[in-house]
Amino acid sequence: MIAIQDLTFTYKNGKTPALQDICLSVPSGGFLGIIGPAGAGKTTLLRAITGVIPHHYTGDFYGSVHVNGMDTVDTSLDRLSGITGMVFQDVESQIIFPTVEDEILYGLENFGVPREEIPLRISEALHKVGIPDLLERSIASLSGGQRQKVAIASILALKPQVLVLDEPTGELDPGSSRQIFTILKELNEEGVTIVLVEQKIMLLCEFAKDLAVLDGGHVVLQGETRKVLTQVEKLQSVGVNCPRVTTLSHLLTERIGRQQPVCVNLDEAERMVRGLMK
Amino acid sequence: MNKLFQYVPGNSLIHRLNPVTKIALTVVICAAAFITDHLLFLVCLLAIDLLIGLIAGVAGRTWSIFRGLVKIAAFLFLLQVLLTRAGNPIFWIITDHGLLTAGKVVLRLIVVCMPLTLVLAVTRISDLTNAMVQVLHVPYPYAFTVSTAIRFIPQFLEEMSGIMEAQTARGVAFDQAKGFKKFSMILPLCAPLLISSVRRTDQMAVAAEARGFHLRTRASAYKQYGFSTGDLLTAVFCILLLAAAILL
Repeated sequence: MIAIQDLTFTYKNGKTPALQDICLSVPSGGFLGIIGPAGAGKTTLLRAITGVIPHHYTGDFYGSVHVNGMDTVDTSLDRLSGITGMVFQDVESQIIFPTVEDEILYGLENFGVPREEIPLRISEALHKVGIPDLLERSIASLSGGQRQKVAIASILALKPQVLVLDEPTGELDPGSSRQIFTILKELNEEGVTIVLVEQKIMLLCEFAKDLAVLDGGHVVLQGETRKVLTQVEKLQSVGVNCPRVTTLSHLLTERIGRQQPVCVNLDEAERMVRGLMK
Repeated sequence: MNKLFQYVPGNSLIHRLNPVTKIALTVVICAAAFITDHLLFLVCLLAIDLLIGLIAGVAGRTWSIFRGLVKIAAFLFLLQVLLTRAGNPIFWIITDHGLLTAGKVVLRLIVVCMPLTLVLAVTRISDLTNAMVQVLHVPYPYAFTVSTAIRFIPQFLEEMSGIMEAQTARGVAFDQAKGFKKFSMILPLCAPLLISSVRRTDQMAVAAEARGFHLRTRASAYKQYGFSTGDLLTAVFCILLLAAAILL
């Protein structure tokens, strides 16, 4: 679905490349989590996938990005955005209209969704993120978390084939964060390809099928989530903290000298510890 | 101030008018205010402004706009009265001609400013944009620009108070300064305000483009903006008002 080859990108007026020699691919129906320290190029990578780079943010672009077989350089942003939906990190700047209804309507109108289908799409999207009662509200009266859900709903309503999210749970409480990830998992099971940047490593490990770790514009680690998590030292060297359960299983492997399975959630850790105690 | 341009939800006669009709009414009131030369007619126009606010169920907003305008008007009135040198003196340096001209100037100001702000109180900006595109065939990018500019005003103020708070937290005593001193303290804030606004505008452009901004056509809007009997009556009223302004 997404194929990135040897991508190097330097922003206009930028001195050093924001991304260097990136090779990544996400199959159709994949769920890729991207993690890395601040300034690693995570947002730039997402922009390249959505085609905002090079269409809006210009600069030196080497290599290629293909989404659904289309080269993002040759395809117009309008066509690309019909396939890829993006939720920004800064929700404030993503929301264009003063009311929730208008905000969600906007994309639906632009992409020419049939009139009779629109009310259903709106209510579906709002129900999915759990805010059906906010339809008539003005954006100014909403909390940060509610705004984030509105931004996500406005993209979900468009039913994109690829969903790209930049820290979608940045303003959300733990409960809502989990809820968003659960929604993403459901969408993923319906066949939507998901790429997201997230700092909440615990959620990422639990939900993402694959992980890519970025540092200084390079992909330093990538692969299946569990495989990436076995490289605890490497992760820590770039400043990414592993979930505590993963650290535990890693430490046990180290101290006992017997290979333990990598744990990504509490249940697995419990099982592992119980197994050891026998 | 923040709420001055915000939409007040409602279902009044005025709310239900086609946004284009509301704009037409506004334009006609403004035009009438400039065409006429009668003080009494201007007073009538002011009464119409207030009446519209009352019918629309936004009496509170109307009153606060009116009060704000009166403050500016009082200052202008004084200036005008003191500076006009024509006519017969009534008292000290004040002349009858001065009073009359000053009265007309400030009434015009109030009459013209009120409907412009009232329209925004009784119309969603998106409806305004969509109706302009659909009915008046205004190209969408232009309509979008205008509506975004209007919507930016409260955001601007919000950002401004954010910057002021940030500065206050670092020891700038905005609250203790008054008048010109306060103004000179606020002036340097224009640079960060401008920078953050440009950045925000740019990101908003990305957000709009990423959701098919360029695909939008005249027929895209979900809501249809038809004309009802109310619109027809308003149109008749507009014609009468304009005729009265010209003939009287």
